[in-house]
Amino acid sequence: MTQRFRIALAGTGLITRDSHLPAALASDKVDVVALVDPVRERAAACAQAYGISPRIAASIEEVLGSIDGAVIATPNHLHMPIAVACLEAGVSTLIEKPLASSAAQGEAILAAARKSGATVAAGYSTRFRNNIILLKELLDENYFGRVTRFAHQFGTVGGWAPLSAYNLRRESSGGGVLVVTGTHFLDRMLYFWGYPAQVQLEDDSLGGPEANCSAVFRYGEAEGGLSGIARYSKTFALPGGLVIETESGAVTLADLDESEIVLRPADRPGLRHVIRRDHGGAGQIDPFFLQLEDFVDACTTGRPPRVDGEQALLSLKLIEALYADRRGYDQHWYAGSPQRIPDEEVACESR
Amino acid sequence: MRIAVIGASGLVGATLVERLLARPGCSVVPFIHSSGNAWRLARLGIELHQLDLLDAGQVHTRLAGCTHIVNCARGNSEVMLKGLKHLLSASTKAHARKFVHLSSVMVYGDPPHPDSVHEEAPTDPAKGTYGWVKLQQDKLVQSAAREGLPCTVLCPPNISGPHSHYLLQVLSAAMNRSLGLVDEGRGCCSLVDVENLCHAIELSLEHAHGDGNRLFVTDDDRICWADLLRELAPLLPEGSIDRLPRVNASALSASQQTAGVSVGRSIKHLVSSDMRAALRKDPLWAMVDAGLRRSVTWFGSSLENRMRLAIEGPLPVPKPKRSPEINRQLSAHQLRGVVHSNERIKSVLGYQPLHSFAESMAAFRAWYRRHRGMEGEYAGLLAQLA
Repeated sequence: MTQRFRIALAGTGLITRDSHLPAALASDKVDVVALVDPVRERAAACAQAYGISPRIAASIEEVLGSIDGAVIATPNHLHMPIAVACLEAGVSTLIEKPLASSAAQGEAILAAARKSGATVAAGYSTRFRNNIILLKELLDENYFGRVTRFAHQFGTVGGWAPLSAYNLRRESSGGGVLVVTGTHFLDRMLYFWGYPAQVQLEDDSLGGPEANCSAVFRYGEAEGGLSGIARYSKTFALPGGLVIETESGAVTLADLDESEIVLRPADRPGLRHVIRRDHGGAGQIDPFFLQLEDFVDACTTGRPPRVDGEQALLSLKLIEALYADRRGYDQHWYAGSPQRIPDEEVACESR
Repeated sequence: MRIAVIGASGLVGATLVERLLARPGCSVVPFIHSSGNAWRLARLGIELHQLDLLDAGQVHTRLAGCTHIVNCARGNSEVMLKGLKHLLSASTKAHARKFVHLSSVMVYGDPPHPDSVHEEAPTDPAKGTYGWVKLQQDKLVQSAAREGLPCTVLCPPNISGPHSHYLLQVLSAAMNRSLGLVDEGRGCCSLVDVENLCHAIELSLEHAHGDGNRLFVTDDDRICWADLLRELAPLLPEGSIDRLPRVNASALSASQQTAGVSVGRSIKHLVSSDMRAALRKDPLWAMVDAGLRRSVTWFGSSLENRMRLAIEGPLPVPKPKRSPEINRQLSAHQLRGVVHSNERIKSVLGYQPLHSFAESMAAFRAWYRRHRGMEGEYAGLLAQLA
């Protein structure tokens, strides 16, 4: 490439400061030409922290004429207006997950992309992990034999506190822990096994975004009756990871960039087979870096990005299907204690 | 009644907010420090207010109109002391009808003073510890009470019930066998259920009593550590309690003597290879270190070895570890040996615990099983992720 790909980063909160911006500055393929944030001081401080001097803008419209692509890492409900503004101007977008705060907004983004021919990529960075790519390959090859069930969970006591606190408002995040934490796995689940035939969600929402949830998925008989569960918590620390019940035994993969796939053979309890690809000693490259370079390559060559808008839209549809069929669970932990918190059915009407 | 709950996202704060929301005629204003830990509250669909306790102006503005203030906030010592001063001053200015402050039995030291069965016992926490900071807080509140702000200081031990951090810590230590059972668990274990504590806060809010003196809030049951572990056992793999390492109380007491200051030991640390390796990352220190090494080498390897022996001692011989390190803090808790009496709070506020120890533990188990994924058709599969 003779000329670097000029990008703007829209939103200069934690994810931009800690992940997207360092990835962009590490890449030889891109120039960070603008940081966009309605709070200009925050954008300026972000630039100063890395010793760079891009243009500081309060809105994306100010920079559309001077960029080739935009990384959108704003609160979820702002993804759509910013993305549409970019796409209508022919500027490709890499949008931090989830694509938008509703499927309708996601559709609007894709419609704008189809019209202009610009690229839409979604920021599901875990899809760039070596272990996820290898697991997909092994599942596709039926390496472990028939897969019967899977379970994924991830839980922390709090954590990730965006500067705007948008994550605690359903209207700005598009949901609760299912969206904030679970969306990564839902994307991977769709990648591994496709869209499920039946879904059901249980959560602890009493009017606000849920802090705990448990989603069950059932696939049709064509997929061998596969079923699974995904559990997320923002109030309870859980050992995070995926476990898959297969003909060969239980396959586990912890939720870290460098984790290894482990097979515990069904016929030899106590044994662990570690499965890894021989990379000649090279470790995992930062997934945010790989994601950005994949986006740039997609924009410059015309091939689709690894996680394109259509895939990201499917994730949104799955989330909406889950919320549409959600139910609360009993939270009266003391035997015989009366309900003290607001009536669930009434409170849920405000969702 | 417009009640400000400061530190609303913590265990006590969140439980209190949930309870207060269901009380008629009461408006609750939950104040949080950061959005990261506020999920339990956010799920209720209520408005949350961020508050920086170190910003006096902000505290004064946001507390205006609140008739009752409950301080459950934690943080570093600056937040706990300077922040509390701001809260007390703002409460006084707002003519608050009641200020309820959460203290801790740690103000009586660790282990607590043997006389701390009753609140008048001497307070003697080691300087700089959590108990010491809590004691300074108590003094600030008592001073505000003397100046006319009606204050109640509630003094709980470790807190049990759903969401209990303490029970999770004990459970985790029992699970990985780092919990040493001291004298077969005969040591007394002072606990209060989180709802019992919130009930005491609610009584404090309603009651005119407000002299700022400490009131112990505990459960009624007298239990020992063996009782606690018996209640946790259903959450552990079978036989876990029997397999816990046993610790002798007198040996533990002897080992708790902390090492004093030693110039020789400090010099050893300074010239240790780890410290030098860290310093060598700086080019100037790398040159100094290289120069010193060359000087020592010039005198021959015998001198170098003698110096190394004198400074670092003989090479350590690591012993194979068959079990994890014993959690010293939890072992020390088993030596506390005092049951704090709740007689005074019963007489002053009419406190009666809502839940027994057994009910509290059953509630914790129900909450834990649900969130840990120990129920339902996927429980066995999820257990593979432990």
